Amino acid sequence: MMESKEKEYITSVGEGIYSINTGDWRINEPVLDQEKCKKCGLCFLYCPVFCIEKKDDYYEINYDYCKGCGICARECKSGAIKMVEKGSSSYAKN
Amino acid sequence: MKYRDILMEQEDLVSPGISACQGCGAELCLRTALRVLGKNTVVAIPPGCLAGAGVVGWNYDNGLKIPVHITLLDNTASFLAGVKELYDYLDEDVQVVAIAGDGATADCGFQSLSGAAERGHNIIYICYDNEGYMNTGFQRSGTTTKGSHTSTTPVGSLIKGKAQHKKDMPMIMAMHNAAYVATLNPAYMKDFVSKLKKAMSVKEGLSYLHVCSPCPTGWRFNSDLSIEVARKAVKTNFFPLYEYENNSFKLKKVANPEPVSNFLKLSKKFKHLDEKDIEEIQAHVDEKYNNLVNLAGENIN
Ligand code: SF4
Ligand code: SF4
Repeated sequence: MMESKEKEYITSVGEGIYSINTGDWRINEPVLDQEKCKKCGLCFLYCPVFCIEKKDDYYEINYDYCKGCGICARECKSGAIKMVEKGSSSYAKN
Repeated sequence: MKYRDILMEQEDLVSPGISACQGCGAELCLRTALRVLGKNTVVAIPPGCLAGAGVVGWNYDNGLKIPVHITLLDNTASFLAGVKELYDYLDEDVQVVAIAGDGATADCGFQSLSGAAERGHNIIYICYDNEGYMNTGFQRSGTTTKGSHTSTTPVGSLIKGKAQHKKDMPMIMAMHNAAYVATLNPAYMKDFVSKLKKAMSVKEGLSYLHVCSPCPTGWRFNSDLSIEVARKAVKTNFFPLYEYENNSFKLKKVANPEPVSNFLKLSKKFKHLDEKDIEEIQAHVDEKYNNLVNLAGENIN
């Protein structure tokens, strides 16, 4: 269950972090169009998995754990996020 | 510090991959709350969706990056009261926080919560209210809204969903004279963060935070609608945002509240309701809201 990259987390009990690969769950996945993005950060606030990352001056989707719920796409007021079928976009890994 | 900066600068203290459903309101509330609460926190999570999703860990691995206990369904508040007493005895200032579902709060865990509030232990008790025992298959709880179709309140020729109104937990906790009581909603993040900060500043007595936590799987709406459902709960006065401290209430007023049907129609658990049922829920919502208006007096903004 525990992948090597989770070992870096410090925990006061246990040996590491329990984590499952929720990125596997997606049927559709979000794609963020940086041109349309107004950098408002709403997607960052509302993603339940916290997989929208704030970089210096833009936001980026981390697909490792994204469950494909579609909240980010619905809440984005600028239409910058679209849900597409998993694997159909060059942005999305997996 | 602006609330967004608080959220952006703080580390996510939850495991990156927990098995809460797609679009789960409770997962968003958990991650956001812990970002605000920070590392100096000991958490207890009783059985429920978040415990089942792996937040309490598995085998030798932890589900949070800070200490977390899985308590019993009925003893979360008394367990944490003991933990807090120990830290006080050791003279260590540690935040002791419960993150519990509505079943472990309003039903099974109520007597221990009531006792801890009455004795005034300095803990923060957060209830994520998804209106039922969702983790075990959507059974009704005390906080399930009247008319909800759940697995134990089915819809048929004899009954039409739950027969009773929702148990009003935040008001019950205010009537305990808890040090601080507030209702929080994930669609209103600024308010959400400021109420958590307020609870953190309370150094005497219990803080009770009641969080509206839409559940796509149990309420039956598409997962992308979670925030919209939470938002409609406030805009229709179904879930008013208010605070209680020092014997006084403070209410956030919604300009031009929408009819409660705008909230109900988003979830399929209400789809069988007819006009009369909806009118009855509307009357209940209005009565509760007017009561709050009276209690808040001049403290309405
Ligand atoms: S919500 Fe939309 S506009 Fe705002 S930061 Fe996210 S992608 Fe950009
Ligand atoms: S689809 Fe859901 S989980 Fe994925 S980035 Fe958007 S809000 Fe987060």
